[in-house]
Amino acid sequence: MIAAMRGFAVLATCLVLALGQAKAEDFVLGSHLPLTGSLAQVGNGMHEGIQVAVDLFNRENQGHQVKLNTIDDESSPAKAVAAVERLASERVVALSGGYGSNIIGPASEAAAKAKLVYITSGGVGPELSQRGLEYFFRINNTEGYSKAVTGLIDDMGVKKVSIVYNNKEATTDLARTVEKTLSDAGIKVSSLAFDGGHADFKPLINKVKLQDHPDLILMSGYENDYIGILRAGNVLKPDIKAIVGVWSLATSEMNNKFNDLVQYVYGTSMLPYPAEFATPEAKLFAETYEKLYGKAPDYLGQFGYVQTRLLLQAVLRAENDGTLGKGGLADELRKTDEETLIGRVKFDKNGDNPEFAQRMGQHQGNKVVLVWPAKAATGKMVFPATPWSK
Amino acid sequence: MFELGLQAIYSGVLTGGYYALVALGLALVFGTMRVINLAHGELVLLAAYVAYSAEVHLAISPIAAIPLSLVVVSLVAVLVYVLLSHITRDRELNSLILTYGLGIVLTNLMLLIWSADIRSTTATWFQEGAVLGDTLYSSRSEVIFFLVSLVLVAGLWFWLTRSWHGRAVRAVSSNRDAAMLMGVNPRTTEVLSFLVAGLLATFAGIALYTGKTIDPPLGHALTIKAFIITVLAGMGSIPGVLLGAMLIGITEALTISFVSTSLQDLAGMVLFLAVLLLRPQGLFGFGTRRG
Repeated sequence: MIAAMRGFAVLATCLVLALGQAKAEDFVLGSHLPLTGSLAQVGNGMHEGIQVAVDLFNRENQGHQVKLNTIDDESSPAKAVAAVERLASERVVALSGGYGSNIIGPASEAAAKAKLVYITSGGVGPELSQRGLEYFFRINNTEGYSKAVTGLIDDMGVKKVSIVYNNKEATTDLARTVEKTLSDAGIKVSSLAFDGGHADFKPLINKVKLQDHPDLILMSGYENDYIGILRAGNVLKPDIKAIVGVWSLATSEMNNKFNDLVQYVYGTSMLPYPAEFATPEAKLFAETYEKLYGKAPDYLGQFGYVQTRLLLQAVLRAENDGTLGKGGLADELRKTDEETLIGRVKFDKNGDNPEFAQRMGQHQGNKVVLVWPAKAATGKMVFPATPWSK
Repeated sequence: MFELGLQAIYSGVLTGGYYALVALGLALVFGTMRVINLAHGELVLLAAYVAYSAEVHLAISPIAAIPLSLVVVSLVAVLVYVLLSHITRDRELNSLILTYGLGIVLTNLMLLIWSADIRSTTATWFQEGAVLGDTLYSSRSEVIFFLVSLVLVAGLWFWLTRSWHGRAVRAVSSNRDAAMLMGVNPRTTEVLSFLVAGLLATFAGIALYTGKTIDPPLGHALTIKAFIITVLAGMGSIPGVLLGAMLIGITEALTISFVSTSLQDLAGMVLFLAVLLLRPQGLFGFGTRRG
């Protein structure tokens, strides 16, 4: 009898442990990102935000635990598709991630074939949300960046703008959208594309200086492009009133690492630096991020966090409603209407977020001051000013 | 228009000096061992990362970090040679596969150690303008390392043609067995070639770190550029590397200024293909004698 009771106790303990184990990993969230290769920097930055969202979700929802399964797509579209197919075969609940429009395009189509919800902030090209994919969601887009850049330029009252842009898809899309908006507003615009990477930008900036004579140079590129262009500007000293960039520029990292080089340069930024996190959620995000990675969160982390948080909230709602296993996640995500770290998120029928609007920051000393729009401004813009005129 | 062209040529010449620094090590190993070291770009990048670590953690200037970079890069260069020396069959083909694999390993090691963030020197002195006659603009880093590349090309050429060790390197490259009969130890000579290639990669890495930005995937692009210049120059021609590099640099800069910035790399590649079609031995190489 005692032996039977002991056996029952062991069996019961095993069952409890097994159930506990199943409960602890209720959902597996899939992610593919470029953790190596040419996009490794941005891929890792976004992955940090996704991980923070998963950690916070697990802390807040003891009943439902999420495990993150990330596959490195090595900055390759083919490997991203293979990663999505593998994650689908491993029955992940949904996908959060992807960087680069040329990678997100085929990867999200593979996700759609597997009827998996795919949410991203790594590709802003307009065509991504025009494919009629029922399972595709995106929290940011070219329009949101364009509105901020053109709004700032409009406020400056300049007459001639030179756009220099990396010939990759997202940067080209943005340059063309801004060019059209500025031209429609009566501003004279000239555009020059360049190959991304580590080129010598002096011949390009010299061409702008000698032929275009602009009031303002707009750079649509990435970190290493900005550094190259600003260094070329510092040598050639074109007589302009301002120099403006887009993503990856008005960041704490650029302010810390290249402080002299970026003085008075503008870039898109949701938060000033040092960051001022106002809401309890934002404070919790920043604390968790700093605890996990030992640094202040940047814009990539914020986007990765927001998209994943919204996705996990929808997963939880669908699970509680009993629709998760019946394809209800996409419908649940489409109901999202929330104020987040990157502003309001509300998806349209294409899964895009028409509410997305960026802000503009300017490097001023050891700070990034938000200068546009006026309602979000944390300081006044210093205009006219460039790094070489300071 | 004239001012634009003049600046383009000047920028192209300086860029050519930097390209030559990157390509010299690859050209030396290619010329002496008939081995295309596809991990050469990663060696250049490694030197740059060591300089970055020295600047951040030891607070020393990238120039003062040269000895440290040299030690690290030379050790890795010798390791590459040791692995290559184990290839006994189809050396030319198998060495390509081996060095390509080593390049991937080095890239990922750099990614693990230094992360994927963009790095560059914080010493602004290197980026200050050096203006020549109020019309020609460059950064101090470009001028310094252009002069360094001239000195290294001349030094390497002198070493290969005038010193005993240099002649030994050429003898091994020309006929390994005959060189052995003349008392030359081919292994020592080949190790020496790799060490000199490591020295050249170190200077290229410091030029890269002080003039541009670095991130782990860059090594592969550097290898491709070095390979194009080596083939364009002609196998074994050291002064040809400098001239070929300048030709590429000027072609790219003129393309940016007068055609399209996006076509910069394409212009260099078209030049490379044209030379391959019209002069397969390269611009400054010699045709293979048959008989």
